[in-house]
Amino acid sequence: MKRIFLIIVVLSLLIPSAVYAQGNDPWSEVFQPDGNLNPDLIDLGVTTDHPDWMSIELPFGQSLELDANYHRYQTPRGNIVVLPSASTLFFMAMNPQESGLTSSYGSLGNGYGSLISFLGLAAGDNLDWSRVHAEHPEYTSPDQFWGAVLNGHQDVWTYFSGWGFITTLLQMTWNDGALRSLYLLYLNGSQNCAAIPGGCSGIVTPPPLPRECPDPTVSMQQPVLVIQKIAPNNPLVVGQDTENRRGADIQVRVTVPPVIFTWYEPIYEERDVCRSANSGETANCNTGSGSAVNDGVSDTEMVFKECRTHVEHLPDAVASLQATAALDAASQDWITGRLGQTHYEAFVHQANFALIPGIGSWTGGCDGGGTCTATGQALRVPFADPGTFNLRMDVVTTGTRFRGVPITQPRRVGIDGTMQVFVALPALVP
Amino acid sequence: MKEIPISKRNLIIAVILAVVIAVGILVIENWPHRTEQGTAVSTNEDNLVPAAAVNAIEKVFQVNYQERKEAWLERICELSTPAGCDLFSAGADRMWEKYVEAKSVVTAASQTVEKVADNGSEQVWRMTITLSSPLPGSNKTQDTAYVVLAKTESGWKFDRFLMEAEINAILAREKTPTTTVEEGKK
Repeated sequence: MKRIFLIIVVLSLLIPSAVYAQGNDPWSEVFQPDGNLNPDLIDLGVTTDHPDWMSIELPFGQSLELDANYHRYQTPRGNIVVLPSASTLFFMAMNPQESGLTSSYGSLGNGYGSLISFLGLAAGDNLDWSRVHAEHPEYTSPDQFWGAVLNGHQDVWTYFSGWGFITTLLQMTWNDGALRSLYLLYLNGSQNCAAIPGGCSGIVTPPPLPRECPDPTVSMQQPVLVIQKIAPNNPLVVGQDTENRRGADIQVRVTVPPVIFTWYEPIYEERDVCRSANSGETANCNTGSGSAVNDGVSDTEMVFKECRTHVEHLPDAVASLQATAALDAASQDWITGRLGQTHYEAFVHQANFALIPGIGSWTGGCDGGGTCTATGQALRVPFADPGTFNLRMDVVTTGTRFRGVPITQPRRVGIDGTMQVFVALPALVP
Repeated sequence: MKEIPISKRNLIIAVILAVVIAVGILVIENWPHRTEQGTAVSTNEDNLVPAAAVNAIEKVFQVNYQERKEAWLERICELSTPAGCDLFSAGADRMWEKYVEAKSVVTAASQTVEKVADNGSEQVWRMTITLSSPLPGSNKTQDTAYVVLAKTESGWKFDRFLMEAEINAILAREKTPTTTVEEGKK
């Protein structure tokens, strides 16, 4: 019940976003006046990272490396909006410098109000407030204490009297990936990659603009990924197919739509003018400045006429592609458990396969329209264990450039699939 | 109808027997409940927590690269809170990869040193751990751990290792003369 309450309250922290649409600050291009996200934002998708400040050190130099998880958007001016997951936000708050929290515009322009509310909900019940009050009577409210923590003036770890809430918070985040409570804004986009949580993955980097014309725009669609078994219909473990050892064929396919880069070229035209004569030049026209005789020289100058629109379909080619298959835990348990009861010493032969590169390879390219594809096959994969195999494909793109200028950064995308491998078991029929 | 003669003496003996049996049943039924609520069991519970900590920690550092990662995690999770199990499982991939690369086969023995914090439903214990051989990334075979245990419906369970900042806070607190073992808000 407490968890549901926390989720509802944390989500409700998103509502004040409408106030950001007011005024003329960078937030005004993030939210519309009604509080909804501006449709011009480029959805950069979810990025995961393994920062040091989210790893838990164990004895003997071991460490649990947790994922930091951010959903990010890019504004038309190139600023980056970051929505960390609840657990990521908690660890960011506990490590405000290292995580880049303090370098966000949000922390300067809008204060820590929402973040303080979040921390109060997530961790407030686990602080020894009587000790806080005894040692720091200057904090007259919990908000003041949390503010000092976020400004790096106070070490919160000293005052925890409960510990399990951290694991509960992490578990809650994993169970509900959409639980994101706070928008953080980072200015200058790709010029400031190191300061942005999640780095520069997928960030759009527009070139310098001509003054007379509108800003260039970038739009991109998410790549389409497919990983699937293509034959045979019902693959049999190779141990029962001793003659052919057929195994199964896995196919992967990626289609990356072009990045649409629209830019505007200023068009100038030559126009005859009568300019003031320089010393030594012979006047041959009147500049119209009131002189009764010729006081200028005929010349031409370039005058802005219009903006010409250019739409470029930039290819974002596949730079690397990896595909794997892994027997899921339930199938492994079934083999060593239930199957082992009837077939003595049944064991898992090979749970993991490197499909591409490894058993197979991939090829790719881009067409004239900027659409890039990559396909690959891993044929006759010798699956020796029955059960469900989790298929996984990870793709990294090259990013896009126009006339040598980077337009979008490389993207990392992935997809999961499953396939079944069968075994024939004898049964006694009465 | 046939009459069965019963003497007064036999009747009294039968009634006494019935009363003794009934009292006996009541005593047997209630005895265990009283013991569980008594102070003797409180001592038992004090022993259960360090035992749970020792069991869990030894499972964490009992590594055999030839078995599956899932089997290793399963052993740990049996002795962990659900959230503690999820946390360990989520962060263990890279650790297990290193064990497989280094072909690690390690057993561990651990001991509780002292309870450093207790809020009623959670306890933090300082422990020493001895390994049969070093794990990848370290030459040590002895180390200290700070472990959180949480009270659940099925007893005390391992929740997680304290993080460095939390350990530093505890060590700093120990240096001050006002250090208390029993702390907490509840």
